[in-house]
Amino acid sequence: MEIIKNILLAAFTSVIVENTIFSRALGTSTLILVARNRKNIFGFGISVTYITAVVSVLTYFAGKIFDLSGDSYIYAPLVYILILGAVYILTLLGLWRFAVTLFVKIRKYIHMSAFNCAVLGAMFIISKYCETFTDYLVNGIGVGLGFVLAVYITAIVYDRIYSEKVPYSFRGFPLMMIYIGILSMAFWGFSGHIANY
Amino acid sequence: MEKIPEENSCKNIIFNAVLKKNPILVSGMVIAPAVMTADSFSSAVTLSAAFSLITFFTLLISSFVPKKIVYTIRIIMYAFIGALVYVPSAIALEYFIPDGIEQMGIFFPLLIINSLIVSRSESIFFLETKGKMMLDIIFCIIGYDAAVILFGIIREIIGSGAAGEKIIGMPVVFSAFTEPFGGFILLGAMAALLRVLLAFIKKVRQK
Repeated sequence: MEIIKNILLAAFTSVIVENTIFSRALGTSTLILVARNRKNIFGFGISVTYITAVVSVLTYFAGKIFDLSGDSYIYAPLVYILILGAVYILTLLGLWRFAVTLFVKIRKYIHMSAFNCAVLGAMFIISKYCETFTDYLVNGIGVGLGFVLAVYITAIVYDRIYSEKVPYSFRGFPLMMIYIGILSMAFWGFSGHIANY
Repeated sequence: MEKIPEENSCKNIIFNAVLKKNPILVSGMVIAPAVMTADSFSSAVTLSAAFSLITFFTLLISSFVPKKIVYTIRIIMYAFIGALVYVPSAIALEYFIPDGIEQMGIFFPLLIINSLIVSRSESIFFLETKGKMMLDIIFCIIGYDAAVILFGIIREIIGSGAAGEKIIGMPVVFSAFTEPFGGFILLGAMAALLRVLLAFIKKVRQK
């Protein structure tokens, strides 16, 4: 029971409280690109969640093999990129061999779901704060789901943000930033705030 | 009436890279490090230095990766080159600005896969001639740095009531602007102001 409680708590934290976009801004550029096309959100979401989960697990094992603390920290990006590259290639090869239709469908955006700040950022954050294998896995999945949640919340207002009714100076990107900022403020409330008066 | 510069002219490349297609205020690239770390002039300068070093050398070396190699491998190579460039950049910057780099935390190594390297390299930079590409990269970096430094200065003034870590006695301080959400909102407001400025320039040119 205690394990289930801890897993649910970790999942809630990584999806809502420490949401990759709204609390750390990781992958914001990718979010803006993905939110344009609602058709791809589901596929993109699955692909990001799968990649963050797999690379988080591999980061756990990499941490057991390589000591990336202290001065060796500067080599961590090299190790993480090798892990990410290997997962990316093996996933594409696996899909090409066993699920050609899916391969054709997702190959347009799978590079975006692998090489973005949300995924690499997850590897750095998880390796810094997590200890057990379960922590790595749950948080890896949580980061992916948190990213999907952020993309979905952004995509549902995409047409309004780019509407001709919005004044030209705010239409599109400027309003998108303000919208993400307001959402970020709302999510910030989950982490708790004590007024100093 | 002023002559509108040709598409490939130097003046046009500089104008596009710095203003019209500013990497952060127009194209929305490399937002995370700016929103999370550039909350003062000094932190914005640190981010600019780190971004300039990593992006310039990664793009320069990556431009020699043969196009014969499939995209799947090329993108991994770009990221790997970024990770290689990160090592001497980290050593150099930790020597000159140790506190600033420590404050950047994970956002410093994350620059190795910034949008300019992953997306813009293939879609714009590597389609140009070497000379034009270099000019475009340099002025894109300058455009990003200028926007981030201005962002950091404004954020420090309205968020902390200071300029260059000196208290300037602002009547009201909005500390929320030093938080990530404040960063997003300020970035949106700056992007809107740039739109107004670009529309004004266009109007003047047409007259």
